[in-house]
Amino acid sequence: MTRARAFLGIAALALAVGLWMAMTAPPDALQGVFSRIINVHVPSLWLAFLAFAVTAIGSVMWLWSKRPRWDRLAMASAEVGVLFTAIGLVTGMIWGQRVWGTAWDWGDPRLTTTAVMFFVYLGYLALRGAIDDPVVRARRSAILGAVAVVQVPLVYFSVYMFRTLHQIPSIRPDGSTMPREMLMAMLVNVAAFTILYVALVMARMEVAAAEESASDAEAMAGAVVRPPRLSEVGDV
Amino acid sequence: MQHRRFVLLGLGGVIALIVAMTLVGLDQNLTYYLYPTEAVDRRAEFPDGERFRLAGIVVEGTLQRGEIHRFEVSDGGATIPVRLHNNPPPLFDEGVPVLLDGSWSGAVFDASEALIRHSENYEIPDRGGTGPGS
Repeated sequence: MTRARAFLGIAALALAVGLWMAMTAPPDALQGVFSRIINVHVPSLWLAFLAFAVTAIGSVMWLWSKRPRWDRLAMASAEVGVLFTAIGLVTGMIWGQRVWGTAWDWGDPRLTTTAVMFFVYLGYLALRGAIDDPVVRARRSAILGAVAVVQVPLVYFSVYMFRTLHQIPSIRPDGSTMPREMLMAMLVNVAAFTILYVALVMARMEVAAAEESASDAEAMAGAVVRPPRLSEVGDV
Repeated sequence: MQHRRFVLLGLGGVIALIVAMTLVGLDQNLTYYLYPTEAVDRRAEFPDGERFRLAGIVVEGTLQRGEIHRFEVSDGGATIPVRLHNNPPPLFDEGVPVLLDGSWSGAVFDASEALIRHSENYEIPDRGGTGPGS
């Protein structure tokens, strides 16, 4: 069993516990059962922030050391981050439609900065897809990865810096405005999603490493090992 | 070498632009909404019919539902009477923070849309707590 598989197993268990706690936590007096979606929405975006911070670290470390492992980390983390930003946005929209009365509002700074962040990191992945040379690819993505992380504090603090529709955090360093049972469920889910993040990044890095050694082997062994492509074969 | 520098500068410029636009644009003329006290203070800036958004709490005891919903919004300072011409979201009620889209019509705010500005507070029914409308 690979390390990634082991972590995925632990993550699955943790998520199951988190789901059970979320579904058994009391509903909110105003929102009713719709408050439970916070157990997916908040952990997803926390995970996205973590992921993009790790991408920035991987980017900077690659620029400093040029070791491919850092580039793989930056890439894997960005992929997971983009996925969970999308999950965060969708769960937010579901909640917003019910509670606010609208799924989206372009005037709200929290929503717009999150959307921009999503597209910038989608662009990061697109950039990587467009470059063949691994060193050039690593260098250009590292620069983007290191710079784009500035959006994380921008998104998080937007609710404090500007007038927003989106509320400020319910869990803050100075305390929380959630009843204990809801708070516990949320924290368990944050922990479970964090384990999931680690598992997914590990798994993605394993795949990336395997892909790289496969293409290396091809290059070393020469054309003899590679089966001929249809475009290269003339008349069969 | 030259090319890379341009790319770097371009990239840095784009990110800086995004950050700057967000910080400046969102704060100044594109003010998302006004609180009642500000709306009253700046009444002259918004003539009848000029749309803007008003955020406040629905004052207890003032809600009359109907074809046109009537209520008052306040921020603890000024209180503004509102006529809402469309149905509000399900959570709409007295004591709830709302975000209204509309314009002045004399001393009344004519609103075409109401959104609920949910606070960060959660509460278990029958247990009390920090309250949903803070």
